[in-house]
Amino acid sequence: SRRRMAQEARSLLRCRRAGISAPVVYFVDYVTNSIYLEDIVDSITVQDHINSLQQSGNDTSSLLILAEKMGELLARMHDEDLIHGDLTTSNILLRPPTEKLDLVLIDFGLSFISGLPEDKGVDLYVLEKAFLSTHPDTEAMFKTLLKTYAATSKKSGPVIKRLDAVRLRGRKRSMIG
Amino acid sequence: HQLELFPGCGVTLLLFDRLRNAAALRKKAMEGSMEGAFINPAMIVDPFQILVAANKAVHLHKIGKMKTRTLYSEIIFSLSPNNNISDAFKKFGISDSDTAVLIVLVTDGGKTVNVEDIASQVEGQQVSLDELPRLADTAKIKKLYKITPQEEKIGTLLDSIVCRMSTKDVL
Repeated sequence: SRRRMAQEARSLLRCRRAGISAPVVYFVDYVTNSIYLEDIVDSITVQDHINSLQQSGNDTSSLLILAEKMGELLARMHDEDLIHGDLTTSNILLRPPTEKLDLVLIDFGLSFISGLPEDKGVDLYVLEKAFLSTHPDTEAMFKTLLKTYAATSKKSGPVIKRLDAVRLRGRKRSMIG
Repeated sequence: HQLELFPGCGVTLLLFDRLRNAAALRKKAMEGSMEGAFINPAMIVDPFQILVAANKAVHLHKIGKMKTRTLYSEIIFSLSPNNNISDAFKKFGISDSDTAVLIVLVTDGGKTVNVEDIASQVEGQQVSLDELPRLADTAKIKKLYKITPQEEKIGTLLDSIVCRMSTKDVL
């Protein structure tokens, strides 16, 4: 839809101005409601990267460093009051060379602007659920992500509180369901 | 250059340095007696910047939604990070005191550009587009497009400029 596309374009520009890595917008076509974005050549998703690292069995330490980078990136995004809306490990790309851990956020179609800790908490909760359901044994990784998030973001206190509350709500719902 | 999204649409860029008749060219452009968009190369960092502007202008022209009167004025307007038409002309169009000019021509349907015809009316030296970076006033460009220091870390100046050009009517 046109509004979703406009939101995406606005969010991408907002990211760029704040120095948050996101694809460059080349052209917005209001007729076909399409956005032409930079193609991050030879990138892989964080999802694929985690999978391949886990499969090859080594290096939990590099996973933790990746988690730190993710926490830092999300903290900076939320400090701009930008809510991604669809945080998953397949919506974060790694620019080549992968070892540099140069992260790029993509897919801002569900994004919106909000300063509310509730919205930021939910944003993180969505990622947590996606994380733990897609990647087994990554609790320590997500914990590190949150730790770095809390250390990087100036407004993280209330956000983490909301995240805890949302987690409780989620659990309650699944108990009844 | 060909516009990927509009096959058959060609964009020709001609760069002239040591310009002596900027005022005359500007007059001809305004009268419409000479074809092309006459752009101040100090504001251009890369030909791609022009292609993005041309692409948007051609698109709007085809759907009848241009903000300015002609395709060429629309290209100049598309270069601007804001929606003020006269400001766009002042900053990106040729001024009487300019010593260089970038002339942009758009041809549809395989028509060719008569470069000699254009060059004969320009009192200056035609140079390669490789000279664009040398002619660009980076400080002025950064100021006009309001590029933040954080932004410079995640991409090139061209990236930032293109982003602003493409999203200015969404904001």
